[in-house]
Amino acid sequence: MKTTMNQNPIKTTKVMTKIIVTIVLFISSYVSAQGQFEQGMGKALQLWGQGKSTEALALFERIAAAEKSSWLPNYYVALVNTNAAFATKDKEQVSLLLNKAQKAVDIEMDKNPNNAELLVVQAMIHTAWIAFDPMTNGQKLAGPVMELYGKAKAIAPENPRVVFCKAEFEIGGAKFWGTDTKPMCAQIEKAIGLFATFKPETVFSPSWGLERAQIAQKNCK
Amino acid sequence: MKTTVTLLCLLVTTLLLSQSTISGKVVDEKGKPVAGANIFLEGTYDGATSNETGSFSFTTTTTGNQTLVVSFLIYETSKTVINVAAFVDKTIKLKEGVTALDAVIITAGTLESGDKARVSVLKPLDIVTTAGSAGNIIAALQTLPGTQTVGEDGRLFVRGGEANETQTFVDGIRVAQPYGASTNNLPTRGRFSPFLFNGISFSTGGYSAEYGEALSSVLLLNTQDEPDQNKTEISLMTVGLGIGNTQKWKKSSLSVNSNYINLAPYQAAIPQNVDWNSPFQSLSGETVYRYNFNNGILKVYAAFDTSKFDVNQENINAPEKIRVDLNNNNFYFNTSYKGVFGNNWQLTSGLSYGYSNNKINLNIDKVVNDENAAHLKFKLRKSFSERIKLSFGADYFMTQFNEDFRDNSGSIFTNGYTSNIAAVFSEIDVLFSKKWAAKVGLRAANNDLLNETTIAPRISFAYKMAKNSQFSFAYGNFTQTPRADYVKYSNNNRFESEKASHYILNFQYNKNGKTFRAETYYKEYSNLVKFDTETPLYNSTFNNSGLGYAKGLDLFWRDGKSINNLEYWVSYSYIDTERDYKNFSAQVTPSFVADHSLSIVTKYFITNWKSQIGFTNSYSSGRPYNNPNETKFMNGKTKVYNSLSFNWAYLLSPQKILYFSVSNVLATQNVFGYEYAKNPNSAGIYNRREITPTADRFFFVGFFWTISNDKKDNQLRNL
Repeated sequence: MKTTMNQNPIKTTKVMTKIIVTIVLFISSYVSAQGQFEQGMGKALQLWGQGKSTEALALFERIAAAEKSSWLPNYYVALVNTNAAFATKDKEQVSLLLNKAQKAVDIEMDKNPNNAELLVVQAMIHTAWIAFDPMTNGQKLAGPVMELYGKAKAIAPENPRVVFCKAEFEIGGAKFWGTDTKPMCAQIEKAIGLFATFKPETVFSPSWGLERAQIAQKNCK
Repeated sequence: MKTTVTLLCLLVTTLLLSQSTISGKVVDEKGKPVAGANIFLEGTYDGATSNETGSFSFTTTTTGNQTLVVSFLIYETSKTVINVAAFVDKTIKLKEGVTALDAVIITAGTLESGDKARVSVLKPLDIVTTAGSAGNIIAALQTLPGTQTVGEDGRLFVRGGEANETQTFVDGIRVAQPYGASTNNLPTRGRFSPFLFNGISFSTGGYSAEYGEALSSVLLLNTQDEPDQNKTEISLMTVGLGIGNTQKWKKSSLSVNSNYINLAPYQAAIPQNVDWNSPFQSLSGETVYRYNFNNGILKVYAAFDTSKFDVNQENINAPEKIRVDLNNNNFYFNTSYKGVFGNNWQLTSGLSYGYSNNKINLNIDKVVNDENAAHLKFKLRKSFSERIKLSFGADYFMTQFNEDFRDNSGSIFTNGYTSNIAAVFSEIDVLFSKKWAAKVGLRAANNDLLNETTIAPRISFAYKMAKNSQFSFAYGNFTQTPRADYVKYSNNNRFESEKASHYILNFQYNKNGKTFRAETYYKEYSNLVKFDTETPLYNSTFNNSGLGYAKGLDLFWRDGKSINNLEYWVSYSYIDTERDYKNFSAQVTPSFVADHSLSIVTKYFITNWKSQIGFTNSYSSGRPYNNPNETKFMNGKTKVYNSLSFNWAYLLSPQKILYFSVSNVLATQNVFGYEYAKNPNSAGIYNRREITPTADRFFFVGFFWTISNDKKDNQLRNL
């Protein structure tokens, strides 16, 4: 190498420089092509997957604030907050989390009121309020929840989350009334089938739910 | 060459990714670190989350001045413009958000119910599931502290005030005739079905400058913004039937309901203490139309009610019973608009019109009266920040009352009045911190009938001394035109507004579904109307020299968490009040006041039975009455009043409810007071007659069926 360089140092340097510049340019162009959005969403989803929901949420919020064109960041802000609300027992915390989730959903619902995934999250927010205070909220919100699932089903009848979440909510009511849960269990079965064939629009589009559906299926038996 | 490459690389990367590091620490007002805060540059992805010590650090490729945003659930979001090249190891202090759930609120005098209420004393469902309330909003409110149970009247009596001292508002607009028509000693009910309202705020004193023409209390009812779905509701009851329908469209919705009540079959089955010629019958209907604009909501509410009854009432002064045949027609219309515009401005406006017509035959005499009442209101509210809000507005009350009295000889006596009241009000709300809040307001009104201008200041503030407890204080002056029974004689008499001042100190503790309230108050009355005859008449001499006071203590405890499926509340009120008004010969405690009142309300949900069972016990100590056989005025005291009521709601299926209730289960023989003869008998004694409830017990059975697409909704909230 050294000899070669000595033989024609200027030429070699030029070639090297070209290569390096090309690599650098290639990398940077690749980075910008992949885009901040993809990188950010990927990172946030990864954090969420690792159970770091505070960090994930913070990143989703940042993306939501910067990207007004995609509904996904706010969708995840709503979803993560709603899941957190289901998990906590602290009364004040629950209202704060659900209000935050509601705000995020409101922003996106305004832009597109016919997005089945958003309708599901809205129904989940209502369900969390019902779980929080059944005596007060059950009467008031059970109707709207069913209406939301009805609307979502009309828009996306083959969306596994729509089918599963609707069935899961109905099971709660059926258990209370002592009515047959078989039709809902059949729907959960159907949802599990749909999860296998469902193709998210993008890699960041909602794809969760299979595990929960499988647990619900076990409870059916 | 190596150097060249390195330099080149650096140059390229610097050009592409010139990086600055931003670091620091997030703390709260006390300097404690805040973990989990989201710190980022606005409009970019560059940011970090603070760790346990509150520290954060991240790099950015942006340059120059950028907005650094720091947000965390319970704190106010902080935004600062920084130079990214020089922001290292800086401390960011977060202020506690005053909109957070635990910020102080002014609670003196106010008992709230509904979705928006932060500390709900009553829940919307309570109105209908409280035993003994029978779907009557007023009866449910009578289980709250500060109210008196006046069984022979049925209206709201608040803290030593007469029933007409409470003014009712629907969506902020006055309801001139909130109660159904009735006559002596037959209790009335609230005119409104609880079905259409989802927020109730009941103030027992010290209320906002927005509300006028009320000496003691305001009852604020808010109609639902949006019904949940299309549905049809059918009710079959032992006393009548009802039907309702709700239609919902994209931006608007319409609810209509109608009820027919006829007490004849019930009264045939269960004997009454009342001699009816024709029992109470009514046909009523309500409708609400709502339209959602992008920035506001328009509501139109209309209600009509036609009712009649014909009864023979015993009277100690008449050998024969007196026949009262009453026909009442009532119409109420209310339209309101609430919306936001511009930079944090909110507009609320509306108007109402109420018409009431009574035709009353008293034996052979006849009384016909009409009241037309309108209210217009316009209010603006500007939020300067989360902490400072200013509202101001104007309202206009118009009342026209006319009464013809036709005696059996055919002579007609006509009395009436027209009153116009124009008022302006302004109020400022300041949250100094999460712990301190104040509200200062002023109301000025001009009344053309009385030819006077009144100015009424209102001040309240609140201090939160610990996480779950706070004090609040309210002071205010209140004025009200004397009641129609007096001012209808305005042709020959001059009246002035009646006046009251309230001083209220409130303590509230609220934690995990448990609420404790203690409130003490002092109320001073002046300018009350006095007259010199047995009842107010066209030839009575009236003056405004009456006065009085009321002071007392109200306690309230509600707990829905300690025992699973059990929700209960206890209200206790102590009152010391005296008045010299009407034709009183001295300052005494009026006959509608019991010194001690206690209500216990329980609701127990039995999941296996799909049932909610409730008990309500109301107790009041004896009430004063005047015994003309004694020299001292108003010296008698009735025995104590007690009534235990029971209800049972059984959910047959998600949409069918069977409902059963009994009031005064124990058939306690309650006596509300006595009616004395005008003249003594031959032995020189004034005879008397007991005033008692119309029946010892009241039984009610109803079946409620909701038909909707989702098959989930039911009418539990209507019961």
